Amino acid sequence: MTRLVEVPAQFDDRSFDQFAGAFAEANKDAERLLFDAHAAEWASPYGLVGLLAAGQAARRGGSAGAADRPLLTAPTNPEVLSYWTRAGFFREAAELFEIHGKVPRAKAAEHSDVLLPVTPVRAAEDVHAVVSKIQQRASAILASELGLDPKATMGFAMALSEACQNIVEHAGTGGWVAVQAYHWRRKLARRVVVIAVADAGVGFRHSLEPTQSKRFGDRWGDAAALEAALVQGVSRFRDPGRGQGLAGIRRYLVRWDGKIAIRSGTARIAIVPKWDEDVPLKDGLPPFPGAQVLIIIPEQGSTEP
Amino acid sequence: MIQYIDMHAVLQQSVSSLYTDLVTRPTGRVVRERIEQAIAGLGGAGGPDGAGEMTIARIDFAGVGCIDYSCADEIVAKLLRDRPAVLVLSGISEGHREAIEPVLTGHGLAALIERADGTLDVLGAKGAAAVLLDELVARRCAARRPGGTYALTLA
Repeated sequence: MTRLVEVPAQFDDRSFDQFAGAFAEANKDAERLLFDAHAAEWASPYGLVGLLAAGQAARRGGSAGAADRPLLTAPTNPEVLSYWTRAGFFREAAELFEIHGKVPRAKAAEHSDVLLPVTPVRAAEDVHAVVSKIQQRASAILASELGLDPKATMGFAMALSEACQNIVEHAGTGGWVAVQAYHWRRKLARRVVVIAVADAGVGFRHSLEPTQSKRFGDRWGDAAALEAALVQGVSRFRDPGRGQGLAGIRRYLVRWDGKIAIRSGTARIAIVPKWDEDVPLKDGLPPFPGAQVLIIIPEQGSTEP
Repeated sequence: MIQYIDMHAVLQQSVSSLYTDLVTRPTGRVVRERIEQAIAGLGGAGGPDGAGEMTIARIDFAGVGCIDYSCADEIVAKLLRDRPAVLVLSGISEGHREAIEPVLTGHGLAALIERADGTLDVLGAKGAAAVLLDELVARRCAARRPGGTYALTLA
């Protein structure tokens, strides 16, 4: 029997919980899953890497055999299909899903708004490649279109590097990153650069449990683990220098009025700038494996909502 | 004697000649171990346990693209944490400084930056930086210049 997981028509961080709920419900009895994206109208980088993480988690028996892979119906809208292809989604999805629908053969990337197509991150070498590529492609856009000081490009690469390293060091599996610039009409009416990182690994709670759960006692859970990592800068390693990465990302985002949100398990934490009305911490969300990170850096200038 | 370290060259020997960025902990670890070998090869660090005479290493960052916080911690902070050493960083950009400074401050450590004109600037925890400069002057490794700036006296 195959269970259906509907991909939201507008698939981004706001609709992700709806998707996670459908995924959790369908994935309960280890049946084969069908991710239905045929009606998708738009997906953010967060939606795309999140869908890949779901595909990774839905693989039955941990094998790569065709019968163990979940199914995916591709979007039918040609423009949506074209964007998902340019964004590098299908190149990665081909390994995870049995894809149904017509998928263009066009190569990924080389589109001005896709600063980094969906890229797998499995090891430190991948982080080097990502950082090198983003510096070549993003400098001009960060400076000319977002009005960031050219010096901020290096900070952007640092933030991206640390976000990717979270996967390498903590997930226990591979994940994906994507970076895109776009005009964010809904919220800011200005351009933003978005970094989305997702994995279907062990998540923050599991990663931090051996060193942190006693300290939190009854409060220990996904929300406490996210709070410990992002707000208190703790790490699963006892080395006193650990935990620098997320702290560094926070400093960078404070300086450039950016936002970070991390979802892991059943909780989501965010450092919320003035221009956004997101809540700092949400618990009791539908469970979803691993961790999903969203970083948004807005065009500089007035960011009044 | 001052040990000269070309960070860009060490990075390319350690990881790949394709990359110019100091990112990730594994990269930082390999780069630090190479620097430690170079220091030990000159008899620095005073012995296998790192105790004894102070090591002075001049680390040139010219040609290094980005350094992230993890690498800054793994290289700069650990070189200072694990032995009595003075690190004099040259070829430092604003971006490098942004990564290294908070890491050193968080550990209560300090390093020196050598500007293009040879004058020294401090990086990291203020208290540790003051002690570092005093010690260098006391050892006659650095001297105060007219105008209140400091410079190394050793080549």
